[in-house]
Amino acid sequence: MGSYILRRIGFAIPTLFGVTIGIFLMVRLLPGDIIDILFGGDLTASEEVKDQAREQLGLNGSYLEQYWRWISGVAQGDFGFSLRNTEPVSNVILDALPITLELVILGLLIAVLIGVPLGVISAVKRDSAHDYAARVGGLVGVSIPSFWLATLLLLFTSRVFGWVPPLNYVSPFDDPIANLSQFILPAISISVFTLAIVMRMVRATMLEVLGQDYVRTARAKGVSRRTVISKHALRNALIPVITIVGFEIGVLIGGAAIVEIIFGLPGVGYVLLQAIFGRDYPVIQAAALLIAVTFIFANLLVDILYGVLDPRISQE
Amino acid sequence: MPNNEKPNSPQTGELNRRELLVKAGAVGAGAIAAGSLAGGAKAAVKRSGTTNLRRGGRLIWGLESDPVHVAPYGQILTSGHWGKEFAYDSLVEWDRNLNVKPALAEKFQIVSKTEILWTLKKGIKFHNGKELTADDVVYSIGKMLNPPLPGSISTLGQVPAIAGADAVSKYVVRLRLKQPDARVIGFFAWGRYAPIVPEGLYDQINVARNAIGTGPYRMVGFNPNDRVEYVANQSFWKTGLPYMDAITLKTLPDEQARVAALRAGAIDGATLSVDVARSLAGDSNLVVLKGPNAGFRELQMTIKTGENKPWHNQKVRLAVNHAINRADIIRRVYSGEAEYSGHVPPGYGPWPLTDAELRQKYEKFDLPMAKKLMADAGFANGFSVTMTTFSGQDYPQISAVVQSQLKQIKVDVNIVAQEGGTFAANNGAGRFDWDLTGRGMRGDVDGYMAEFHPAAAIFKIWYPEYRNVRAWRGIGNGRIQLDPAKRLPIYKDAQRALLLNPVQIPLVAIKKYQVVRKRVQNMYVAFSDFNSGLRNVWLSE
Repeated sequence: MGSYILRRIGFAIPTLFGVTIGIFLMVRLLPGDIIDILFGGDLTASEEVKDQAREQLGLNGSYLEQYWRWISGVAQGDFGFSLRNTEPVSNVILDALPITLELVILGLLIAVLIGVPLGVISAVKRDSAHDYAARVGGLVGVSIPSFWLATLLLLFTSRVFGWVPPLNYVSPFDDPIANLSQFILPAISISVFTLAIVMRMVRATMLEVLGQDYVRTARAKGVSRRTVISKHALRNALIPVITIVGFEIGVLIGGAAIVEIIFGLPGVGYVLLQAIFGRDYPVIQAAALLIAVTFIFANLLVDILYGVLDPRISQE
Repeated sequence: MPNNEKPNSPQTGELNRRELLVKAGAVGAGAIAAGSLAGGAKAAVKRSGTTNLRRGGRLIWGLESDPVHVAPYGQILTSGHWGKEFAYDSLVEWDRNLNVKPALAEKFQIVSKTEILWTLKKGIKFHNGKELTADDVVYSIGKMLNPPLPGSISTLGQVPAIAGADAVSKYVVRLRLKQPDARVIGFFAWGRYAPIVPEGLYDQINVARNAIGTGPYRMVGFNPNDRVEYVANQSFWKTGLPYMDAITLKTLPDEQARVAALRAGAIDGATLSVDVARSLAGDSNLVVLKGPNAGFRELQMTIKTGENKPWHNQKVRLAVNHAINRADIIRRVYSGEAEYSGHVPPGYGPWPLTDAELRQKYEKFDLPMAKKLMADAGFANGFSVTMTTFSGQDYPQISAVVQSQLKQIKVDVNIVAQEGGTFAANNGAGRFDWDLTGRGMRGDVDGYMAEFHPAAAIFKIWYPEYRNVRAWRGIGNGRIQLDPAKRLPIYKDAQRALLLNPVQIPLVAIKKYQVVRKRVQNMYVAFSDFNSGLRNVWLSE
C-alpha cells in the first residue's frame, strides 16, 4: 500500500510542474495586461510612461525570466504581490481559502449525504414512484446551472421571506449557526449538479451490483435485505462513485467561483475572477495553482481510497 | 436646477458660486473664478425628503465593484474612490450641482499665471487628531505628482501641470505650475486624485487598507473583496455633519444579489441598471433615485497612416453621424432615460452644447442627407466595418441598434463584443476600426477634449491622419486660458468644430439609477463618479 501511495505522489509531481507552466502561459496569453487596464482611461499617456508603470509593477523581463522569478518564489512559499493592491498574494489567498474550502466541503457533503441514499432507494425500488421522482430530479439537477439556481434562491428568499444570508463572513468557530445560515444557500446551489450525478451513478452501479451472483447468494443464505444492501452491494457500488466524487470536486470549485460572487462571499473563486478581470497575474497564478493542487490532491486521495476499498488495485 | 440644501444647513462655511467668485476676486488680481470648471449642472432630479432630521444609525451600501485598495494617490479604478471617498477631502470641492466650494482651503489667490496661493482653514483635524497645516498639503501634492505603490503613475495624465508646492506659512501654500493650466481647480474640486493627507502618511499606515484624512467618516477597516467600514468623524470640519454613526460599503458585484439584499433590508442602497431599478419602483420600502451622469456613449474611429478606409473621408463620418437616430437609441435601449450628448456630456456645468443645438443641427437624424453624403463620398453602395464593444452592460444593445440604423446607408456593421481587459488592450493600442465605448467623469472640460489634439499620445495611435485645425486651436488655447468666461466660448467652438468634422461620434448620455430604502433621507445621485450623496445622508429609523 505504501509503495502504491508513493507511486501516486510520484505521478502528481510532474503533473503539478506541468500545471505551473500551463497556468503561467495561459495567464499571459490573455489579451491585454494590467497596464492596458490601468491606462484605459488615460488617452494621453505615452509608451514611455506605460513602460515606466510596467517596471514599477515588476512586469519587465522575458517570460522565462518572469516564470523563473515566480516559480522560485513559489518554491520558497513566496507567491509575490498583487499587482492591483500590493498585498502579499499568500495573504490574499489565505483570507479567501477558508471560505471556498467550507463551501466546497459543505456542497460535497450535501451532494453525498443526499445523493447516495437517493441513488440506493431509487435502485432498490426500481420503477417505483420513488425511482421516477429521483430520476426526474436527477435530470433536472444536471440541467440547472449553479449560478441560475443561486440567483433564484436569493431572489426567492428575499422576496418571500424578506431574508438573505448574512453579508459579512462569520467563521464557523465563532458562530456556527450564523455561519451555516450564510453558507447553506450557496452550498445548495453548487451541490445540486454533483448531487444529481452521484445519485445517478449510485443508482446505476447499485442496479448492476444487485444483479450479481454474490448478492443473490447472500440473500439465499438468509442474510437480511438491509445487510445485503448496506454491506455487500453498497460498498462495491461506491467504488466508481468515489472516482466521480473526486472529479466533482473540480466542478464544485468551478461552481463556487460564480456562486461566491452572487452571494458576496470573498472566496478563492471570487478572488480569481476579480484577478482575471484586472489581469492581476500573481493572484491568478496563485489561485489557479491552489485549485490545481486541490484537484490533484483530491484525486490522489481518491486513488488511495480506491486502494483501500478494493485491495486488488493497490496490489497491481 | 434648484438647490435643495436646507436653509439651516449645518454645512457652515459654504459659499455659493457668486460669493466665492467675489471673494476670490477680492484676494488678488486674476483670481480663478470659483465654479470655473462647472456650474449649474443638472444634478439629481429626485431625492428623498429632508424633514425630521435624525442622527445616528449605520448605513450599508452595496458596491458593484471591489475598491481593490484605498490608497489616496494613483488609484485608477473608480471603485477605489468609492472605497475611500468618505475618508478624504481636498482643498476645494464640488457641491451637488458641480459648483466649486471651499473645502480645506478657505480661499485661493492667483499670484501669476503659474503661481497660486492657497489659504487653509484653521483648526481642521485629521482623523488621527493632528491639525491640518501647509506641510500636509505640500506632502500631499508631492505624492499626487509621484504616486507610490499600490497607486500607479497611470493616473498622472489626470494631473495638471503642477511643478510643486511649498509652505509659505503654517496655513498658506504656494502651488507652482510648469505652465498656465486651467485644469488646476477642477483637479482639486474633483478630489479623485487630489486628497489631502497628513504628512508622512505612507510611513505611518498601510495606505492600501487604511486611511487617515479629514473626511466626514473615519475608515476603521477595509477587507478587499468584502467591505469597507467607516465610523463618524466626530471632529469633522463641517459643523453638525455627519449625521450617521457609521457607513459600511459591502461589495456585491452581482446585481441580483444587490436587489435581493435591498428587498430583504440587508443593505440600504445600491446603484442598479435602468431596467432593474425601474422594476423596483413598485416596492413600498424602496425609493428609486435617478440623475444625469458623466457617463456617455460614443463611437470611436481610427484614421491611420497607410490605410484607406471609407471613413477616412470626412463626408462618410458625417453621414454616419446623421444616420444615427439618437432618439431611437434612447427609446429602445434606455426606455427614454438618456439624453443627446456631445463630446462634453449634458450636466457638466455650462460646457456642453445645448440639447437643441445637438438635436437640430450637429446630431440631427437626417437620413436623406446621410445618403447624399455617402453618395458624394463615392460610397453610395456602402461598406463593411467591424465595430468592437464591451460584452457587458448596455453596450451590446446600443451596438445592435446602431448596427440596424447604419444599414439604412448600407453600412454593414459587424459587432464584436469583448471582455473589458481585451477591449482595453485593443483600444489602447489602436487595434480597431470602430469602437463603441463609454466615457466618464473628468475634473475639467479639457479632459473630454485633450485626446483630439495632436499633442496627445493617443492621437498618433488612433487618428494621425485626422486634421481639424479649428478644434486644435481651441483645445490648445482653452487649457492655458485661466478666465472661465473666456474659456467657455473657446470650448463650445471646439466642440462644434469636432462635430462638423467628427472623428469620434458622441451618442447618448445615460442616466444613473440608485435605489435606497425608505429610511435613507437626503440622498441624491451624484453627477460625478462618486457616491457623494451619502456624505449628507441621515436615517429616519
